[in-house]
Amino acid sequence: MSTVPDAAAGAPARVAAPYMNPYLGGVGLGLVLLAAYVAMGRGLGASGAVTSFVSWVVSLVAPGHAAANGFFAEYLEGGLGHPLKTWLVFEVLGVLAGGFISGALANRLSRTVEKGPRISVAGRLGFAFAGGALMGIGAKLARGCTSGQALSGGAVLNAGSWAFMIMVFAGAYALAGLMRRQWR
Amino acid sequence: MNAPFYKFGAFGDEASLVIAFVIGTGFGFFLERSGFGSARKLTAQFYLDDLAVFKVMFTAIVTAMLGVFYLSWLGIMDLALVDLVTTNLWPQLVGGLVLGFGFVVGGYCPGTSLVAAVTGRIDGMVFVLGVLAGIFAFGEAFPLVKGFYESGDFGRLTLPQALHLPYGLVVFLVVVMAVGAFMGSGWVERRFARPAAER
Amino acid sequence: MTEFTNTRANHLVDPFLQVWGWEIPVYLFLGGLVAGMMVIAGGAMFADRQRRAGSVLTLLPGLGLVLLSLGMGALFLDLEHKPFVWRLYTTFQPASPMSWGAWILIAVVPALLGALLLNVPAFLRRRFPALTALSEALCAQAAVVRAIAAANLVLGGLLGIYTGILLSALGARPLWNSAALGPLFLTSGLSSAAALAHLATRDRSESEQLARADQRFLQAELALIALFLIGLLTATQVHIRAATLLLGGPFTAVFWVGVVGLGIALPLFLQSLAAGQRIRPTPVGPLLVLAGSLLLRFVIVHAGQLSRWGPV
Repeated sequence: MSTVPDAAAGAPARVAAPYMNPYLGGVGLGLVLLAAYVAMGRGLGASGAVTSFVSWVVSLVAPGHAAANGFFAEYLEGGLGHPLKTWLVFEVLGVLAGGFISGALANRLSRTVEKGPRISVAGRLGFAFAGGALMGIGAKLARGCTSGQALSGGAVLNAGSWAFMIMVFAGAYALAGLMRRQWR
Repeated sequence: MNAPFYKFGAFGDEASLVIAFVIGTGFGFFLERSGFGSARKLTAQFYLDDLAVFKVMFTAIVTAMLGVFYLSWLGIMDLALVDLVTTNLWPQLVGGLVLGFGFVVGGYCPGTSLVAAVTGRIDGMVFVLGVLAGIFAFGEAFPLVKGFYESGDFGRLTLPQALHLPYGLVVFLVVVMAVGAFMGSGWVERRFARPAAER
Repeated sequence: MTEFTNTRANHLVDPFLQVWGWEIPVYLFLGGLVAGMMVIAGGAMFADRQRRAGSVLTLLPGLGLVLLSLGMGALFLDLEHKPFVWRLYTTFQPASPMSWGAWILIAVVPALLGALLLNVPAFLRRRFPALTALSEALCAQAAVVRAIAAANLVLGGLLGIYTGILLSALGARPLWNSAALGPLFLTSGLSSAAALAHLATRDRSESEQLARADQRFLQAELALIALFLIGLLTATQVHIRAATLLLGGPFTAVFWVGVVGLGIALPLFLQSLAAGQRIRPTPVGPLLVLAGSLLLRFVIVHAGQLSRWGPV
C-alpha cells in the first residue's frame, strides 16, 4: 500500500457518492429476492447464518452442551457436512462481498461510527451492542429478521411475516422518542 | 413448470451454495447502494424525515411479489414448492416487537449491520457482536422458551388464506396500498423535514 | 516360498488417504509464498533496486527466511519419524520429488541470505554496522548482484514448482495426477507474494508494478485452474470422477466461492478498479489473495486425499 496521498499523485478527489434512488434500489433488491425464489424456492436471510456461526462456536468450546441443546443441535445438523456449509452462510459471504464492492465504488468506505451529535462514541457503541442483542433475540423468536421474514416472507404473502413486519415498525416507532438523543 | 430450479433438480446442493454467494452479492450490493450501511439513514425512517427504509423494503416486496405471482400464473413457477416459514403467531408478534426495539436502539438489522461492518462502520461491527450475544443467550435460554417458541402454530399460512381472498386480489390490494403509501410518504417527509441547519 | 506385500487394509490409505491434516497445506502455502518472494526479489535485483531506499527488497529476504522456517517447521511436525529427519540429507534420489524438495529447501537458504546481505534492513544495520560495509562492497560488484539475483529467481521458481510436483508425482491419487499442478502452485505462490509485497512496499512505483504483476499472476492462475480441470476431465474415468470432487462434489462450494471467487476473481476486480482509479486502493484485495492461496492448498490436499482409483 503506497502511503503517498492520492491528491499529491494527481488522482481524482474522492467524495462519497449520493445514495441510489430508493425506488430503484428497491427494484434491484426485489429482483435479487425474486432470483432467489426462482432459483432456489427460498428467500434471503441473515440471522440464520449468524445462528449457524454461534452454534458452531459453541460446539467447538462445549460439544456436549451444544449437542444436548435442541436449538444449537438443530443448526449444527443443518449444514452440508459442516455447520458452516449452509445456504445462508454462503449468502452472507456474498452480502459482505457485494456490500464492500458497492461501498468501494461509491467511495463510502470509512472507519467511522454512525451516531447523532448528542451522544458519545462509547454511548453509541453500547447502544449498538444492546440493540444487536435485542435483534438477535427478536429474530430467533420470530424465526427470521427483516431480511428473512419481512422481505422474503412478505413477498410471498406469508401471514406470519406480515404480522411480524407490522410489529417491527410498531416497536421501532414506539421507542424512537426515547432514542432520539442517540440519533438527533 | 421448471422453477424453482433447485426444487426440480437443475443443480445440486454444492452448486446451490455457489448460487447463494452470487445472490448474496447482489443483496449486499443493493443494500449498500440504498444507503442501508448507515445507521443514521436507517433510523431516519423513525423520525419521519427520510422514509427510504419503507420505500426500499416495500418496493422490493412488491417487485418480488409481482414476479412470483406472474411466474406462477404463467405456469413457469410452482408456488407449492416455495419454502414458507411456518406462522407461529405469538412468538412472531413478540419477536417483531423486540426486533423493532433493537432496530431503533442499535440502528441496524442483521443484514444491514453486515453491510455496515464491511464498509468500516465500527458501530456496525459492534452491533454484529451484539447479535451474536443475543442469539447465544436465546440458545442458552431455549429450554425455557421452547413452549412459547412453538405456540400459535398456524402452519403454512398465507395472507390470501388468512383473509379468505383470492391470491391475485391480495396482490392487487398490496400494490394499491404500496402506491398510496409511497405517495403519502413524500408528504410525510416534507412535513417532518429537518431544517437545513440541523442536517 | 512366495512373499506378498499387501499395502491395502490400512485404514490410513484405504479407502481414502487420511494422512495429511493442516501441516502439509500450510507448508505448501508458505513454500509457494517464499518461492514467489524469491522470484520477485530476483527480478527486483536485476532491476538494480537493491540500491533504492524504501524498496520492498529490504523486507523480502528476511521475511522469506522467517516464513521458510515456519513452513519447514510445519513440515517437520508432519513427519512420522521425527528424530530421523537428518537422513533426508545423507542422500539424493533424483527420482524422488521429496529428495529434490529437501535439497531445494536447503539451497534456498544461502540464496536468501545473499539477497539479505545485498539489502540489509535498517534494524540489522543498527545492530551490526559491519554489515553495512559488507553490503556496500557486495552491491558494488555487479557480477555478484546478478549471481544472487539469478540464484533467487531460479531457486524460487524450482521451489514453487516442486510444491506442486510433490503432489502430482503421487499417481495413486488421481486428483493430483496433473502436470498443471506444479505451475498452478508456482503461480499461486507468485500472486500471493506479489500481493504481500504490494502491501508492504513504501515505494509508489513498486506498488503499482507489483499490483500489475499480481493481476497477471491471478489471470494466469485462472487459466491454469481451467487447464488443470480440463486435463482431468479429458483423462480416464477415474480422473473425471476426481475432478467431480470440485465440480459438484463436496469441495465444489468451498473451491469456487472461496478459492476462485473470493481468492482470485474479487481481488482481480477490486485491483483493476483501483488501477483504473475508480476506487481508492484498499488492502482487502491482496489479503483475499493470500487467504485464497492458502485455501487452494487446503482444498487440493484434502480433496486429493479423497480421490482414488478404486470402485466408487
